[in-house]
Amino acid sequence: MKKYAMVIDSSVCIDCKACMASCKVQNNVPHGYWRNWIKHTIPDFSQGPLTRTHFQPGGCMQCDNPTCVQACPSGATYKDPQNGIVHVNEALCIGCGNCIKACPYGARFRHPDKRVPDKCDFCFSSGRLERGLLPACVDTCPTKARVFGDLNDPDSDASRLLRDKPTVRVLARGGIDTKPNMYYVAATAPTDWVDEVEFPGAFTALASLVNPVVKVAVGLSALGVAVMWAKQIFSPDKEESEHESSAPGKD
Amino acid sequence: MSEKMIHRHTRLSIFMHWFNAFCWFALLLTGLGLIKNEQLNPVGAWLPNLMRSLFGGGETLLMVHQYLGLVWAGVFLAYVLFKRRETWVFLKEVFTVSPASDMLWLAKMNLKMTLGRKGLQRFGLTPDLPPQGFYNFGQKVFAQASVVGGIVIVTTGLAMFFSTISMDNPEPVAWSRVIHYLTVGLVFAGLLVHIYMAAISREERPAFMSMFTGSVPEHYARHHHPLWHAQVATEKDKDD
Amino acid sequence: MKPANDSPTREHGMKTEGKTLSRRGFLQASAAVAATAAGVPALRGYVSTAHAAGAAQQAPITSHYTVCDMCFNRCGMIARVQNGRVVKLDPNPKFLKSRGMICARGNAAVEHLYDPNRLKTPLLRKGARGEGKWQQLTWEQALDHAAEQFTRIAEKYTRCGVMFSPGSDMQSQFLIRFAEVFGSYNVTSHETLCLLSKNRAYLDTFGETPFADVLYSKYIIIAGSNPLEAIITPDTIDLMEARKNGCKIVVLDPRYTKTAALADEWFAIRPGTDMAFFLALTNVITEEQLYDTAYAEKMLFGLQEYAAHVRQYTPEWAAGECGIPAEDIRRIAREIAAAAPAAMIYPGRRSSDYEDSTQIRRSMAIANALLSNWDRPGGILAAREVGVRAPYFDVPWYDDNPADRIDHGMAPGLIHHEGSFKLMRDAIIKGEPYPIRGWFTFKTNFMQTAANRNKTLEMLKHLDFVVNADIVMSDTAWYSDLVLPSPSFLERNDPVSALQGSSACACAVWRDAVVPAMHECRDMLWICTELSKRLGFPESFNFTLDEYRKSQLESIPEAFEAIKADGVYYNPSKVYGIYFDSPLKTQAKKIELFNQRYAHEGLDPMPVYKAPRRKEGAFRLVVGRTAFFTHSNTNNALLIEFMDKNTLWMHPRSAARQSLKDGEMVEVESTVGKVTLALRLFEGMEEETVYMATGFGALSPRLPLVYNRGASIAEVLEDHADFISGNMAMHETLVTVTRRVG
Repeated sequence: MKKYAMVIDSSVCIDCKACMASCKVQNNVPHGYWRNWIKHTIPDFSQGPLTRTHFQPGGCMQCDNPTCVQACPSGATYKDPQNGIVHVNEALCIGCGNCIKACPYGARFRHPDKRVPDKCDFCFSSGRLERGLLPACVDTCPTKARVFGDLNDPDSDASRLLRDKPTVRVLARGGIDTKPNMYYVAATAPTDWVDEVEFPGAFTALASLVNPVVKVAVGLSALGVAVMWAKQIFSPDKEESEHESSAPGKD
Repeated sequence: MSEKMIHRHTRLSIFMHWFNAFCWFALLLTGLGLIKNEQLNPVGAWLPNLMRSLFGGGETLLMVHQYLGLVWAGVFLAYVLFKRRETWVFLKEVFTVSPASDMLWLAKMNLKMTLGRKGLQRFGLTPDLPPQGFYNFGQKVFAQASVVGGIVIVTTGLAMFFSTISMDNPEPVAWSRVIHYLTVGLVFAGLLVHIYMAAISREERPAFMSMFTGSVPEHYARHHHPLWHAQVATEKDKDD
Repeated sequence: MKPANDSPTREHGMKTEGKTLSRRGFLQASAAVAATAAGVPALRGYVSTAHAAGAAQQAPITSHYTVCDMCFNRCGMIARVQNGRVVKLDPNPKFLKSRGMICARGNAAVEHLYDPNRLKTPLLRKGARGEGKWQQLTWEQALDHAAEQFTRIAEKYTRCGVMFSPGSDMQSQFLIRFAEVFGSYNVTSHETLCLLSKNRAYLDTFGETPFADVLYSKYIIIAGSNPLEAIITPDTIDLMEARKNGCKIVVLDPRYTKTAALADEWFAIRPGTDMAFFLALTNVITEEQLYDTAYAEKMLFGLQEYAAHVRQYTPEWAAGECGIPAEDIRRIAREIAAAAPAAMIYPGRRSSDYEDSTQIRRSMAIANALLSNWDRPGGILAAREVGVRAPYFDVPWYDDNPADRIDHGMAPGLIHHEGSFKLMRDAIIKGEPYPIRGWFTFKTNFMQTAANRNKTLEMLKHLDFVVNADIVMSDTAWYSDLVLPSPSFLERNDPVSALQGSSACACAVWRDAVVPAMHECRDMLWICTELSKRLGFPESFNFTLDEYRKSQLESIPEAFEAIKADGVYYNPSKVYGIYFDSPLKTQAKKIELFNQRYAHEGLDPMPVYKAPRRKEGAFRLVVGRTAFFTHSNTNNALLIEFMDKNTLWMHPRSAARQSLKDGEMVEVESTVGKVTLALRLFEGMEEETVYMATGFGALSPRLPLVYNRGASIAEVLEDHADFISGNMAMHETLVTVTRRVG
């Protein structure tokens, strides 16, 4: 069982866009959409010569507590225990968009043609991992800011970095920890771009309202049926048994 | 002595009924199998897991559910288009209500089915029920729910079906699923009563048999559906 | 009375069917249902787009070595081919120069290869130049026509009547051979719009063009260069690595580039005042004796003169010129001297900035000399030996040819084989010293990249025959008479090229085609061979590419196997101390702080500061590029998503003085042209400077992504040239910026 993750040294990112271009080609990402990104801080020019900008590559964090998976009623999106990647089963997905809304990182987008969610899957469906290649963004990066590896393998590049260096993660606002599997070495910025985890109305309605209502309705009905049935078994009214005969009715 | 039988349901009606029952049952099971979410599983994770392994995966299950739904809706649509008169008659019967007598019937029926005649007496009510037509009020209510529910289920189902084919806004799809599930659940609640009434309740046994033979004994008709019985008798007299 | 069951009976409004629900009837009904069920998937398949099952593609993928051509760096790549199509380009992990990476442009080369706007057949201009009326020709017709034109011009105007401009390409050596055998001295390239000032400066100081050993450096000043954005391998990568190892980077740039953003310190230096800074820097180093005296004794020529020369250029004085506080200049001088010899002034690449650029870069070269970093780790390196030979060819003599190239003597420091496009253009317009009437360009786009394109258009009026070989209908192609479609690098077999990746490697590469040439594209070798047959010198091109490569690799035959196996050959030649016991290739045989030849020719032997022009209400226009575009190769559907037009960058305070608002359309006007584009307010601009990125505002409608989008720098840049090298000077234009009316 593998646990794929990324460890990123954002301090060496030069915002060259190679990772975004590489991913786009490898995964046929449609025009106008991106599976990965590079965020950046807004420079404070009052710092004069010390004005600095920090660049932060990112993408789907393949979270351990994925709220996108939690928002999917059908399990069409799921975290694969074999490799830790959060997949989308496009044939099972009906394109309701819940998962897209439930991701605080904005890692998913609705594919304009396929109308199902699209996101980084560490190049799994492109076959790169199978062919022994690194994900496209990792392979192409000029400064090797992105490091990829199996956290269950203590000798992998990612494991070693995690062991040797202090790391941070970019977390959702509002207190829900999605447990992202994207670690940033030492420090990173910006960190205030992440949203709160917000389950879409359609999901909370289903979970908090409709499900209980249906359960109650069916429960009450079943209860009624049980009572009727019990009455029939234990204290039937006489004419019910009489109806089994073919005699004309009394009334 | 053989009981005189009155013709109640056509072959087609019978077919539609059982077709509906079969589809409903299959759609319900496959539909429930499609829900796989810790916060939502209505009866636990075992059901979706079982359904998916039976069908070789969630995506196959979805395909079966969708196609079956389309067939189910398609057949009913064909019925409505080719049997317009029958459809109209049915809908008229089912949606014609007399609130005062129907409410009384409902109250008395509920008490009688659960607490028996003695229960009725305890409430100071006589055991005689307001006379019913072709369908009694309970059947009408369930039929109404089935018709309306069916339309809602098909509509929301179609929204979900076309979602990845042609819909650009996912919002109606997400809500369609909510409404689809709610409607199915509520109709299912009613279905439990319908199945009890039809298949388990001894009193209604003749009605159950008529969903195979197409006819009910005359005394049953006179007792349970006196208004319809009277109408049939009148027409027979006219014919004679 | 009718029996109950066997005849139609009207029920309460319900008709009977009259048929028994027999088994046949049931089966029929079921069949109908089944038919519908079968039809539904067909319907679904028809209306729905295919859902990817999520599994990997099943067809096998083959891998092929190549080197990228999206810029000059030639990063090693592995092309992945599936079903005859290139589906991905991955880095060659064995390629040291690029440290096993490829950038956004390399990745986007797939888009470049399959660009629907590619040139497909030879085209002959029918209407007026720039009108866009073309006639398709066969190659036979095209080559016959070109040969005819060349012959006609040669007969009337001598062989030098045709000018040749090969681009930065692995096949350019064939066009150069062709030009020389044809008999023309007039060869120039885009290098005269780029790096010649820097080359000139370092040749005249160290006797070599410099490679920066950034990886091992501890202190780097970057001025007039943007290597973290305009990628140079391995420098760009090594700069970030060096920082991790404690290297301090100081950037001087009137614009807050990505290099500035990632540096330790950035100063918004006033444009054109770099020399002031470096003169003051060396003032501190010499005054405070912060240099290695033993080294100076051995290696430097003219130190005394130089020290005396810079005495006047104090940090206090420099602060007034460049806007950087004196105490910072002093501090930086002390810091970098302390870090020497593993410290450098980054030489940069493009130095086509000022009329003074050679001298400006000289002041930077001299500072390097004083850091004693020449030929040592962390410093400035000489060219390493790769071992690739240039195959010999006979060059004929034409009696009627003029004595020299057209721009001979027009600048004191013209680089041989390059000359100066700017000076040549002026000469062609003037018709003196002699006329040029033909122009053969290959993989170069002067209409977009040379300042003052109206002058280029003027020059075209004096040309009878303009032929251009390219991949897309660039602006230059659009204005040519004959356009020849070229294959992209993925479709070509190319000769060997030698590359040096600083201290990382000295290597040789070639290209083998990854996919067959598309459309009717033909490479330059084939074109030159065919033309040579028609022009009477076929013996100059009677070789196969394999023979040519063998000849190139004669002294390093081991390279064949290496390139086949790894995609690259490494020559483990000396990196440092190449000149350990050799004299330098300068007149003094040492590093010349004082250039004797300059003195001899009446030029300043040591850089003398000249304050840049300023004009009330005008801005100095500076130009540059990004990490995801190379010059005018902007019509790429993938890369255009990063930036779909250029804008004019200006400081908000400067804009406020003219009440200009962010995003509004402004007119930028110089003495030679006017452009309109959107304004972008940006605090990271020196207040008297404005900036435009290159590559937009195309005139060719067959570049639909950049046609009339943004604005072209070539339209508004005035043509100035570096005084010594003739290199284009693209930062000398002062412009007014006004709100667009209407």
